[in-house]
Amino acid sequence: MKNFLCLLLCPLCVAFAENEPVEWISSSDLASVRVMQLRRDGGSRIRYPDALPSLLELMNEQARVAFDPDPLFIESLIDERLFENPILYINCDELPNFDFSVEENGALRRYLTLGGFLYLDAGIKASFLGNDSGHSYAAWEEREEVKNWFAQLFPENFFSPLPRNHEIFRTFYKGLPDNEFLRLEKDQKRLPDTVLTFVEQEKWPQATYSFVGMKVNGRLACVASPICAMGWGRDEFGAWVPPISFRIRESAEDFDETLRLASFEGKTYEVTREDGLKDVIYTIPGKRPLWVREPTGRWRIFKYYSGEEISDYAHSFYARLGMNVFLYALLN
Amino acid sequence: MDLAPERRIKMKTSQILFSLSLFWIVSPSWSQMPVPLSDSFQAENNKSGLPKPPHRSTIDKTLEAASQKLRSKVESDRVGAAKLLGKYTIRNSSLLLIGSLNDSSSLVRRAVLVSLVEHYNSGQIIYEPALVEKIYSRLGDPDVEVRREVSALIPRLVPGLLQSGMEKFEINGRIVYRSRPGKLRPDLEELTQAAFLDPDSVVRQNLLRNHFSLRVQIPPATMVKLLQDQDSRVLLVALDQVRIYARFPGINNAVEQLAKHEVFGVRAKVAQTAGNLSRSYPDYRDVLRVFLKDKDTGLAAQSAIELARLGERLSAENINMILDYLLSVQGLDDFSQKIFDGLSALGSDATKIYGALTEHPSGRLRAIAWQRFLIQSRGWLDATSWMPALTDRNPEVRELVLATVRGRISKIEEGELGILIDSKYPEVRVFAAESFLLADIKVVESRYMDLLIDEDGLVRSVTLRSLAKRRVPGWMKVHILSLLDSNYAIQRAAMDGLLSDAKVGVPALLDFVRAHPTVAISSLARQELERLGFRP
Repeated sequence: MKNFLCLLLCPLCVAFAENEPVEWISSSDLASVRVMQLRRDGGSRIRYPDALPSLLELMNEQARVAFDPDPLFIESLIDERLFENPILYINCDELPNFDFSVEENGALRRYLTLGGFLYLDAGIKASFLGNDSGHSYAAWEEREEVKNWFAQLFPENFFSPLPRNHEIFRTFYKGLPDNEFLRLEKDQKRLPDTVLTFVEQEKWPQATYSFVGMKVNGRLACVASPICAMGWGRDEFGAWVPPISFRIRESAEDFDETLRLASFEGKTYEVTREDGLKDVIYTIPGKRPLWVREPTGRWRIFKYYSGEEISDYAHSFYARLGMNVFLYALLN
Repeated sequence: MDLAPERRIKMKTSQILFSLSLFWIVSPSWSQMPVPLSDSFQAENNKSGLPKPPHRSTIDKTLEAASQKLRSKVESDRVGAAKLLGKYTIRNSSLLLIGSLNDSSSLVRRAVLVSLVEHYNSGQIIYEPALVEKIYSRLGDPDVEVRREVSALIPRLVPGLLQSGMEKFEINGRIVYRSRPGKLRPDLEELTQAAFLDPDSVVRQNLLRNHFSLRVQIPPATMVKLLQDQDSRVLLVALDQVRIYARFPGINNAVEQLAKHEVFGVRAKVAQTAGNLSRSYPDYRDVLRVFLKDKDTGLAAQSAIELARLGERLSAENINMILDYLLSVQGLDDFSQKIFDGLSALGSDATKIYGALTEHPSGRLRAIAWQRFLIQSRGWLDATSWMPALTDRNPEVRELVLATVRGRISKIEEGELGILIDSKYPEVRVFAAESFLLADIKVVESRYMDLLIDEDGLVRSVTLRSLAKRRVPGWMKVHILSLLDSNYAIQRAAMDGLLSDAKVGVPALLDFVRAHPTVAISSLARQELERLGFRP
């Protein structure tokens, strides 16, 4: 195992060392890789404390890698330990703001240039979600704050959507959670057919999701996604926490006309789709989004499905996705 | 499925529908103001200049259209209307949906339930017992997805279902008032009992999870069946609830059987449940003993710790098993942290484990192991037991060990002091400087210069303070010279040292202040001297 891990780490060490050998503070503790997590405000804004430790443990169990299940929390990007560890995780919803000092931006720029990897969870956030940090929505562009932040870091680079066939989506797991997660009894599935069909065909086709990434020196150094951490936590018995519900787009024969005319008092928001076109989301403040007008002119209504079986499925997906991202970071 | 309660429910629901329609007729017309049109619909972030939406209808008209579609013969019309009504979380919309719960189409009933859940989630709570009972009665629906939705909705239905109050009856022309108990209607309770063994495991686990709030007791035989369920999620919920039934016949045996379940999560839950129950019901300790042979060493270690907490002495084999487990983990997660924290229950046996864990690859685990090891073995009494920790590559280890021995050691030998002085870590050299207070004066005299020229300012200032305390020959001269150091902390240490000696130190400081009035420390030194009654 140790040899395997060393092999995994070698390219990274070389990447750091080739550029600026003095900067690579080699960790003599090669037994495990520590993932860093940026926490401002002393961790008072933490939303999913079980998430990252559970995911790291899951990777150790299933991928037979050696991550220390105890993340290394840093409060600032000028923490000297930044350059000792190859992967930095930030849940953007946990940041009080995106105000980073010049020194911090310089450190992060060097970190990414020298081979570090940054995962910006909740780095994508559809505008209609506002301050609600419990929702994931597949918009296909980074949130405004991230865009502005990275414009200072790498003005010459930009985020671009990761294609569905990107290696990051199949580094370890390929495809959606299999029948083990779905089978209930002989001919019965856990999820309603309508839900499953939408998930397989539209929500997470081939277990992909809306990710954007930025390359630095030709290497994918930073990825941003809608919030995924909510799907990583497990309790000590392996049960997933917290519960997650599904937002499904549903239609009916007359919805194009019905929803166009139906009573509505609220705001609408545009959200970028994978193809670059815009969905128009109809919302009412304080409530979940109502319905959507798609660029094709089709109207569909949002319905929400909850329950342990649905939550388990969502967790399984997010955990697989998270594992793929961290293992991709480790291997590349 | 027993259809008798279903028929009774249909009779009840027809009564409810009748009263509902009456309510609908006599209720005042909906007074929702017409929705403002045009501009308010434009996107706040609409940068592309969307065309203005068409003239929209009012809520009244939208609901009216939906209610007509709910009566349509076309199934998809009824489904669409039921879905749309979910978006209008107002009472009339809820009533329309409840009125469609008996639709012949399962797709419509599903859509109705999903929309009602949306209403509940949006704060549109229904409290009228008759209406809530009608929703709950769909627990007997032939469609599994309807039953799932209803069973998941139970926590929201409970306030309406279990309302107590007074009922007014007329018996032989006489008005009689009778209390209505806050419990399920008998036919609904019968339905609930049947649902505990519903063919669908999601329904079973929802019922099991919520039965206590429904004030329904599960018969022991049913509970045993649930503890033998094929679905591991049902088992996890059943184990959550088993405490209420722990002393009933057959339950202990069923739990013990689960200790050999193939799914790790189930076994982990059994171990936790047995640990909790063992405090009240000693029979459950046998379940913990089963786990001592579990193939998962984590579970075995957890059970061993639990038995130790209950006062049982562990065998050497089990102690080694706990050690092996802790040595095999990558770092401390919640599970291993609990086992680690429980080691204190082993008493003196824990020392051996803590000692072995000081070699663990995880820095954090090593740090805590060192701390516990030193505390448990009173390791500060013997420098050879804690000195190795100060060469650890992990700063957390060094800092925790230093915090543990600081103030507790009473003597330090020349060789040990030399190792501390030669350390490459500044915090260790600071500790060496502090340790001058405990070392032989001749040893201090021979080694203090090494630390006075240290690259770290804190090491130098702590050394100065120690020299002043020990009155090492020549300390005064060193302090006077240090008043001119560029580091203010060192100037301050030198000043404090001189102030502690009234006979020579204070006059020397007075001379310094007069000779160097602009040096940074002189200002503070003047104040201190004045406080002591001198006039610099």
